[in-house]
Amino acid sequence: MSRWARLAARNLRRHARRTLLTGSIVVVGFVAVTMTSGFVSQTFSSLKSATIRSTGGHLRLLDPKAAGKTDDEAALLLLDDWQGLAAVVKEDPRVVQAMPKLSFFGLVAKGEKSAPYIGTGTIPALEKNASLASDTVVSGTFLSNPDADEVMLGSGLARALGAKTGDLVTVMATTPDGALNAVDAAVVAVLSYPIKEIDDRLLFLPYTAASRLLKSEGKANTLVVLLKDDADVDAAARDLSRSLEAKGRPVVVKTWLETAAFYKQVKLLYIAIFFFMGLVLSTVVILAAANTMTMSVFERTREIGTLLAIGMERGQIRTVFLLEGVLLGIIGSAVGAAVSFFLRLILNASGIMLPPPPGGTRGNVLHVDFIPLAYGIGFAIMSLTLLIAAWWPARRAARLNPVEALGHV
Amino acid sequence: MSILEARGLTKTYHVGSEKVVGVSDATLALEAGSFTVLAGPSGSGKTTLLNLLGVLDQPDSGTLLFEGHDVSGLDERARAQLRREKLGFVFQTYQLVPVLSAEENVALALWIRGLPDAVCAARARSALAAVGLAGLEDRRPDALSGGQRQRVAVARALVGEPVLILADEPTASLDSETAAHLLDLFEEIHRARGVAFLFSSHDPRIVGRAERRIRLQDGRVVADEHTAAGARA
Repeated sequence: MSRWARLAARNLRRHARRTLLTGSIVVVGFVAVTMTSGFVSQTFSSLKSATIRSTGGHLRLLDPKAAGKTDDEAALLLLDDWQGLAAVVKEDPRVVQAMPKLSFFGLVAKGEKSAPYIGTGTIPALEKNASLASDTVVSGTFLSNPDADEVMLGSGLARALGAKTGDLVTVMATTPDGALNAVDAAVVAVLSYPIKEIDDRLLFLPYTAASRLLKSEGKANTLVVLLKDDADVDAAARDLSRSLEAKGRPVVVKTWLETAAFYKQVKLLYIAIFFFMGLVLSTVVILAAANTMTMSVFERTREIGTLLAIGMERGQIRTVFLLEGVLLGIIGSAVGAAVSFFLRLILNASGIMLPPPPGGTRGNVLHVDFIPLAYGIGFAIMSLTLLIAAWWPARRAARLNPVEALGHV
Repeated sequence: MSILEARGLTKTYHVGSEKVVGVSDATLALEAGSFTVLAGPSGSGKTTLLNLLGVLDQPDSGTLLFEGHDVSGLDERARAQLRREKLGFVFQTYQLVPVLSAEENVALALWIRGLPDAVCAARARSALAAVGLAGLEDRRPDALSGGQRQRVAVARALVGEPVLILADEPTASLDSETAAHLLDLFEEIHRARGVAFLFSSHDPRIVGRAERRIRLQDGRVVADEHTAAGARA
């Protein structure tokens, strides 16, 4: 340790109470940064999982003509022979399943009541395995028979129709040729989707019934691919795109993130909120530490005068005070890291349940992730913050007039 | 040969709207190895003149020559260097750094010159031994008596091998016996090392032992006399 760092460290120890007070603020700041980062990381992770599960998979394979089109325009295009496509996709060992989806809309009626819906035709077993919908059943049982004329309704839509499980409803839609078609289906489940606007329109049919309704047998708007590992998304998207093209089945492959506007918005919002909180926290730490260090300069005015009198450079005086600030930041961060580490263990063992993330259906047990980068950033922020806090008092100390400082009472 | 020569030094202060003369037209020269006291009542300008001669403060007018060079117009950094390398200071209230040991307080005067730690420590121990504090190197100031603290301050002034030590009321905080021992020490250093001393004091014991007395009144030099002590030396 350099002689000036040694001097700075001893001055911190000499004013133990003041050091403890300012150090506590640094510790709290560090803990706030690391714990918040760990919590936000878990929130993002839950949100990501919810987003992937909301569409049933990591990748969406679309008709090649969807390239460059908007999601709405792409939704009107149909892939031919989804089963052949799925067979190729499932050759990739990273793939868990490939699920066709038909998207359609129209009117659903029960007796004299009718309501508009937004429907999805899907393979029941695959949908249950991959998507959020299985978590949202409030009455009845999830679709199970792929060949049955069965339907699941959002609770808002069921309410509008006055429908309950066991009732028969008529699902009407327009075929790609423009003809009106309908199927009668029994309500097997009512789902409560967390977003009301979707819940009021939500309808699921087995793929077989939906394709018959739309006269689109063997076709799908999209083939949703579920991967074993989230980390494989980009590589799998690239590889599938190449291999399908090589086999004469070119498709457009979109990752879940490319179509997750809500996820991106929520993430941006969270980042903005936590950035603002960090700014407020840093300001509080700066003000508190600057106040303490200004008091320290005031109390040590005669000492500074002596140092100047015996020929100490003003830069050396400034260095000592800046080092006191940085040392306090480093020590506070080290203690903060230890506190964060143990607090994290305690919280993670507490089993506290959190509400579902935005758009999610299930709450999670509180888990604060360990983010080494956050510890590094916390360390850098606190050291930098204390350096900034020490800057003004250090400058003031270095600019003292030696004669006036020696005469200070 | 003069190590320090002041020509017409004047310093005024503003206290509120009032202009106060600290030193007026002070002209004097200090010889190498001299033992001089600036004497006079409180408010006579002793400390102000000492600060000017120690290049701690700048005069409003007049010239200060150090070893023949005009130093009155030096910038902040050059004045700090001059103090660091040529001068030593002893203050009334010792002014030791409380978090440093006796050895480190003395070594501090060398730290600021950028000398290696080992060199600083060795020279600091030697300076402490010279002022009779061998064995107390590790003590912090609060574990030393007033006389011992002032000796540490003397060692700090001495360790840089200055040509002139300026001491502002060095005995004012000490009891008679301790003050007498300190004056013995000053004389011993003066004789053994040929270091010039310039005191500011109204303590008759210092005034009585000085080889030369410069009396001040209302900021002016009113008498400058060589004493019997000076004649003996």
